Amino acid sequence: MKLSEINGLTFFKGFMIHIVAGLFVSCGTSNVVIQGSFPTPAINPIPLSVAVYYDDNLRNFSYMEYSETGREEINIESGSSHVQLFDAVLPAMFERVITVNSMEDPEIEGVDAVFAPAIEEFQLALPAKTKLEVYEVWIQYNMRLIDSEGDSLADWVMTSYGKTPRETFLSVEDGINGAAVVALRDLASSFALNFARIPEVRDWLGSL
Amino acid sequence: MKTVEEKSKAIQKAALVFAIGLSSCATTTIDEFRQGQTGIEADETIVILGRREGSSFETDSDFVECVGERMGQGDNSISVVPEREFIDAMFPWFEPRNAPLRASDLERFMIEDIVARKMDEFRIRYMVWLEGETETDRSGSLSCAVGPGGGGCFGLAIQEDDTNFDATIWDLESLRNVGQINAAATGTSYMPAFVIPVPLPARVEANACNRLAVQLKDFVNGS
Repeated sequence: MKLSEINGLTFFKGFMIHIVAGLFVSCGTSNVVIQGSFPTPAINPIPLSVAVYYDDNLRNFSYMEYSETGREEINIESGSSHVQLFDAVLPAMFERVITVNSMEDPEIEGVDAVFAPAIEEFQLALPAKTKLEVYEVWIQYNMRLIDSEGDSLADWVMTSYGKTPRETFLSVEDGINGAAVVALRDLASSFALNFARIPEVRDWLGSL
Repeated sequence: MKTVEEKSKAIQKAALVFAIGLSSCATTTIDEFRQGQTGIEADETIVILGRREGSSFETDSDFVECVGERMGQGDNSISVVPEREFIDAMFPWFEPRNAPLRASDLERFMIEDIVARKMDEFRIRYMVWLEGETETDRSGSLSCAVGPGGGGCFGLAIQEDDTNFDATIWDLESLRNVGQINAAATGTSYMPAFVIPVPLPARVEANACNRLAVQLKDFVNGS
């Protein structure tokens, strides 16, 4: 789209949006499944063999946004996108990565560590509530690294943040999805580049 | 006595005259600050990236794309690597959280062989960071109504746009900041409505984009 067209369209839609918006009144709970694509990180892999365990809480993670009156408003499912993200990032970070379905999986015996991510908190900011023109998503994680005996090697908290550009015509679903995908990329960038700098991880890597 | 059709035509003519009278306009100012010599070979490229670290605003990707497109056109055109393609290929180094804030930070990035190799694959000679936004102020009054016999809008809406973008140019050969260009544009758009709204955009961002692209092209070519 050419910028001159954008200018004209933005000008027109800025005044018309309030008229059009008034014609649509939604009710009931809407469901948003976060979908996005995540590039493979351009980083040098650490010479480690790692198993990754996604528990059911992560695989099926969903967040419910409530209206100001306490009504269930939007259900956001982001479990599968988190699995997709880690599946794209981890093979670039480590020389060998396997996925295990439980902590009792016999394949754990042959790896250097088991990585088990968990989502602790999910927050959403909608333009209708913040009066800002952007959608925002904030996610807090608990990252755990465990050895094959089940002992903790490292346990740390990470946060990620994502927001959409100012888009007047963005649907609520597209806005939430856009902000969540930016937050997931933020997580991946921070995790991939800072993993070896986490004090517990650095100490463990130094002991190998 | 005038028929309804004649009255309608008279109103439309009046609207057209009024619209022409309101002719929207934009004023653009460019400032350049050069800190080093520049020049680019035919097989070299540049990449233009938008600053997005701030939580209060972020540089519009459409504006970044516009400047890149314009630089790739006309005399002395320059090959520009699309922003999204570059950021994805370099992931995660140029995500907002990790992106270099100063030219000196590039040294830290280029130490990583994988980053240096990808930069070399793209043949990138200059990295241009764009930072800015367009602030909008709306006034006037425009109302629309729909009834059994039809509908229409009446009134006048006014929008004032104030665009300000800074372009910072880093030389990837010397890993130094070689200059800055500022593009500032202001303009007023109108939307008169006599039954049908007629948007008369001032093309503020488009003007800033065109002027900035021309200036950047000359700057990078060393002319």
